[in-house]
Amino acid sequence: MRVSDIFQFALASLAGYRTRTILMLLAMSIGVAAVVILTSLGEGARRYVANQFSSLGTHLLIVLPGRSETAGASPSTLMGETPRDLTLGDAEALSRSRHVRRVAPISVGMSAVSWSSRERDVIILGANADFIDIRRWKMARGRFLPRSNLDEAAPVAVIGEKVRKELFGAQNALGQWLRIGDYRFRVIGILGSSGQSIGVDTEELIIIPVASAQTIFNNPSLFRILVEAKSRAAMPLAEAAVLDTIRQRHQGEEDVTVITQNAVLATFDRIFVALTLTVAGIAAISLAVAGILIMNVMLVAVTQRRAEIGLLKALGAPGREILELFLAEALSLSVVGAVAGLLLGQLGSLVIRQMFPEFPAFAPWWASVAGITVAVVTGTLFSLLPARRAARLDPIDALSRR
Amino acid sequence: MIRLQGIHREFQVGDQIVHALNGVDVEIDTGEYIAVTGPSGSGKSTLLNLLGLLDRPSAGTYTLDGTDVTSLTDEQQADTRNKKIGFVFQFFHLVPRLTAAENVELPMTLAGFPPDERKERVAASLADIGLAERAHHRPDQLSGGQRQRVAIARATIMRPSLLLADEPTGNLDSRSGAEVIRILEALIELGITLVVVTHDEKIASRAQRRIRIVDGGIETDVRVQDNAR
Ligand SMILES: Nc1ncnc2c1ncn2[C@@H]1O[C@H](COP(=O)(O)OP(=O)(O)OP(=O)(O)O)[C@@H](O)[C@H]1O
Ligand SMILES: [Mg+2]
Repeated sequence: MRVSDIFQFALASLAGYRTRTILMLLAMSIGVAAVVILTSLGEGARRYVANQFSSLGTHLLIVLPGRSETAGASPSTLMGETPRDLTLGDAEALSRSRHVRRVAPISVGMSAVSWSSRERDVIILGANADFIDIRRWKMARGRFLPRSNLDEAAPVAVIGEKVRKELFGAQNALGQWLRIGDYRFRVIGILGSSGQSIGVDTEELIIIPVASAQTIFNNPSLFRILVEAKSRAAMPLAEAAVLDTIRQRHQGEEDVTVITQNAVLATFDRIFVALTLTVAGIAAISLAVAGILIMNVMLVAVTQRRAEIGLLKALGAPGREILELFLAEALSLSVVGAVAGLLLGQLGSLVIRQMFPEFPAFAPWWASVAGITVAVVTGTLFSLLPARRAARLDPIDALSRR
Repeated sequence: MIRLQGIHREFQVGDQIVHALNGVDVEIDTGEYIAVTGPSGSGKSTLLNLLGLLDRPSAGTYTLDGTDVTSLTDEQQADTRNKKIGFVFQFFHLVPRLTAAENVELPMTLAGFPPDERKERVAASLADIGLAERAHHRPDQLSGGQRQRVAIARATIMRPSLLLADEPTGNLDSRSGAEVIRILEALIELGITLVVVTHDEKIASRAQRRIRIVDGGIETDVRVQDNAR
């Protein structure tokens, strides 16, 4: 029999048993659609987090005081020494590296803030002029901190939108003097709300020069230093330079931890890829279930079509050809079901994207390929048993009306 | 061209063995017209199925055109059925979802003929049996007699040398039955070997050779030299 005739015959018999065919197509396509939609959710979550991180700036190094445990115990931590603090001097030294574009020393604390009769506790961030560019935040009004020496404690403040609303209400905040702890600061700018940015809410803080913050909190040590490398390629060099500089300044101790954007991102990436694979696996189980359904329906089909099978044999079809006919039916079903499922799945993730625009639910290409492959392979494999049963039917048994 | 020697066919039914055929020896020449008669359950269908390679004997040899067909593989037997043997059944056995033309075409499709040649031969064959304008009707849109004519067209489309018919008129009224017999007999003029199993004495009396089977054995085997056709 010609291949085209085999498929034509298979398709005609699929069309002949409409309900059964639709049932099997449905099972197949739901399985594939599940793979596509679930993996697009996993992939969407991964991309969402990646986007959040890239809003932090892509060539960012974060320097924390103290050595992280994962890097192995250093002699100093073994002896119970507290690591040396990060200072403005350290930040100054880091900014002189060839591979570093700019740095932002940060100190953080909470303080009572008041204006006229209103008072509130607000997070105070000590930073410098470069901070806003490193974090890619935007101003709503006014200016950010002016460029100056790091140790210059200018009495200026940039406030978040929510802080502004709560302290000043309808009044103009720019140029007003507010009180932070025991010191007075002039409001020179209002931060734009840059959406959610990992860890901090830009609406609920006040930024002042780092030296001013150190004075208020009476603490010369820094919370961390943000370092921006010249380029993505310069990241490893910048990291080495940072560690080198710190070692020199801290009597040979490498008592800081450097977190790179990439490392954090890579960790999240791994987590989400694992998650996506897991949901893909779960969805694949539904494909196996679809395969078993196909096997069942095919077995019933073979029983119902005994007469036809016997007739084909009587007309000169060898067992092999009967097998091919049934496998062709299974293959056509699986392919059509899988393609329908793929379209359904793509439609589903499109709907998800429409409903949640900031959630990039795109199914990864490998999920579509895997979904279709698994569908076709299970569809065909599970039909092997019924097809072989059909191929082995005895023609007279099949033809007799006993 | 056909030689059966010591053919036995036994069926296991529960713990009992049914001897459907007990040592049948028969030779059939090309172009013979044979009627097989006998009481119900005597083994007529079993014999026809063996001749048609739909079944294998428990013992004995079957030689068709000089080859021992009992030892052929499944694939070779299928090929022999396809090219040398045509089968007409009491219950027509047309594929219900295929049209008359597609049913007739089926053996050629199985043999892998190109579509053009198939269509051409099928059209000619349907015209021969007077069903040209019914080509695109499905079996349930045809009468019993028309269905059996389609079945005959299908059995002969590959131009087999042997045509086996198991009670081809058993399900038809006498007028359709006579039409079917007329078509079958016309094939003999073309040199086909025809074996018809029948309960109908009128039909049996038209054959040149009548084999009567009783209890799985040949009781009588009569050749009528000058038949009263
Ligand atoms: N597949 C089978 N399994 C068991 N027994 C069978 C089988 N086929 C035929 N037989 C038995 O073999 C014997 C001969 O059957 P067969 O069908 O050849 O009779 P027949 O002469 O064609 O009868 P009828 O005129 O009623 O069609 C019967 O006893 C029947 O029961
Ligand atoms: Mg019978």
